[in-house]
Amino acid sequence: MSAALIDVKNLRRVFDVSKPWLNRVLEGGHLEFLKAVDGVSFDIKRGETLALVGESGSGKTTVARMVVGLLPPTSGEVIIDGVSMTDPRQAQARRRLRRRIQMIFQDPYASLNPRFRVDAIVAEPIRAFELIQGERDIKARVGELLSLVGLHPDDGLKFPHEFSGGQRQRIAIARALASEAEFIVCDEPTSALDVSVQAQILNLMRDLQDKFGLTYLFISHNLAVVRHMASRIGVMYLGRIVEITEGRRLFDNPRMPYTKMLLGAVPDLAMSGRQRIPVKGEIPNPINPPPGCAFNPRCPLAFELCRRKTPELIDGVACHSVNNPAAAIPA
Amino acid sequence: MTARPLIEIEGLRVVFQGDDGRTTHAVDSVDLSVANGATLGLVGESGCGKSVTSLAIMGLLPKQSAAVSGAIRFDGVDLLGVPDETLRDLRGNRLAMIFQEPMTSLNPSFTIGDQIIETILRHRGGGRRNARERTIELLRRVHIPSPEKRIDEFPHKLSGGMRQRVMIAMALACDPQLLIADEPTTALDVTLQAQILDLMRELKAASGAAIILITHDLGVVAEVCDEVAVMYAGEIVERAAVDELFANPQHPYTVGLLGSIPRLDRRTTHLATIEGMVPNMATPPAGCRFAARCPFVEDACVKTPPPLAMLNATHASRCIRAPLERLVS
Repeated sequence: MSAALIDVKNLRRVFDVSKPWLNRVLEGGHLEFLKAVDGVSFDIKRGETLALVGESGSGKTTVARMVVGLLPPTSGEVIIDGVSMTDPRQAQARRRLRRRIQMIFQDPYASLNPRFRVDAIVAEPIRAFELIQGERDIKARVGELLSLVGLHPDDGLKFPHEFSGGQRQRIAIARALASEAEFIVCDEPTSALDVSVQAQILNLMRDLQDKFGLTYLFISHNLAVVRHMASRIGVMYLGRIVEITEGRRLFDNPRMPYTKMLLGAVPDLAMSGRQRIPVKGEIPNPINPPPGCAFNPRCPLAFELCRRKTPELIDGVACHSVNNPAAAIPA
Repeated sequence: MTARPLIEIEGLRVVFQGDDGRTTHAVDSVDLSVANGATLGLVGESGCGKSVTSLAIMGLLPKQSAAVSGAIRFDGVDLLGVPDETLRDLRGNRLAMIFQEPMTSLNPSFTIGDQIIETILRHRGGGRRNARERTIELLRRVHIPSPEKRIDEFPHKLSGGMRQRVMIAMALACDPQLLIADEPTTALDVTLQAQILDLMRELKAASGAAIILITHDLGVVAEVCDEVAVMYAGEIVERAAVDELFANPQHPYTVGLLGSIPRLDRRTTHLATIEGMVPNMATPPAGCRFAARCPFVEDACVKTPPPLAMLNATHASRCIRAPLERLVS
């Protein structure tokens, strides 16, 4: 199917990070806003995995939370299967849509209720959406889901603290599948896990995708994990997507200087001694980002225009020297 | 390479006594040695005993609950036999450590300058003014911009990467001969990690100190280490020069670990996984500790614990079936 399942249009989110009113009056200071996400657009086709990568503070988690509707956007729109997640007139349709969207969180120690037994955790979406009637059938379905993610149906009687991190993440995946979700937003699902356990979870997620035709929005800071999981990848920097393209193209031929720097920073297991761009500087303060392209103070190719005008995302890359090579200063 | 290694660990064992009478065998018969100027990577997953090994070297394990035996010879002196006073003189001076969490290992109520100056005054004496000058010099060495100003700042004003630089400056304050870095980059983003690793390489070249780098990330090991020791369930299961280990791993656990890492340079549909779980260290298995998860297991593996056998001059594996080439084919 060619139509996009998920369509995100010009999403923005601004957080008010000012001091309280009384402190502003007494101590001076003015309103301060943090643009966590600043005009992000992308679409995800059915059965595809789109990954968003970026460093801490780049806004990737905020995007994920807005896509599932845990956080209202300041402006912009999220459209899932033709239904707007923000339009009040489509509230009815949105309620029906909810079942089909699920999220897997980063910290498997915080995302499962410690006072619920595992079968109650996994059965919750089934009960909430009234998918199956009758306790016996629900119990059978929960057992089936637990087997599906590689646990034993009897594990349902245990509490989350009896499981390791990897097993907890399996429980979270079983819960996401319980409502027969089609679209799963995964926010750093393996960053709290050891590599060998991470491999198990990533394999499981790929198998489930093949089996049920799931669509993933995959958030991660780990480029190698993203390369393994995603068909398309968006690189975020300070609330914007600076490059978005097919996985293979991004890794073989990164265009935006930030992407090049990020790829170069990944430790090299093959020890090939490949050429890399040395990392300069740190991410600027997002409350007061530099004018123009936010990457310009660290960019080896920055020229006058970069300090003045924020580049548009053209043909999958937001960079003046890539999109306008005539004006750029040769490196 | 000198004839006698700077630090030599022999038969190190750490057993924790729990409140409820349970004992945990965290580290078992670990032998290690690091020569002057060499960097040893100690890798393994959570709970394999790598951090406990480093704390044992530093003498930082609680005396009431941890029984440490074996020998840790630092420059000919057994650190397990010396009085606490001697250890205090060594720590922060000839022995230094960089901890994992730059957020929690700095004291939030003192300026970073005070915290580094304290170390210098304790070990080197001299005036406060000299110590302050040296501190500014150290901060400059770890590439902190405008160190004259930064020295009077409190830790909360610095970013994670900057704080880790301060930790490194503090560890270097008295020119240590042995530097233990426990997951120095785990809490950092990749770009910051790359900067810190560059810095460590630079300092290694400049100071000639021996470094033990503890990490779960084999990529980091590939970047900075000369030699690697892989730990599993409290034991060293494989030890080799770094390029040798990556090219020719000789323990099934190392093979599994390498296969489970997603790579930038190749794309596979499935990552190799290691089935099963780490054994419970309250009652470690009688034979090979990896036997229950090992694809090449045979009867002899579960009966007696395998020795760490040398395959050639620089490569040792704790597997009776090594070399593994004939098994794979």
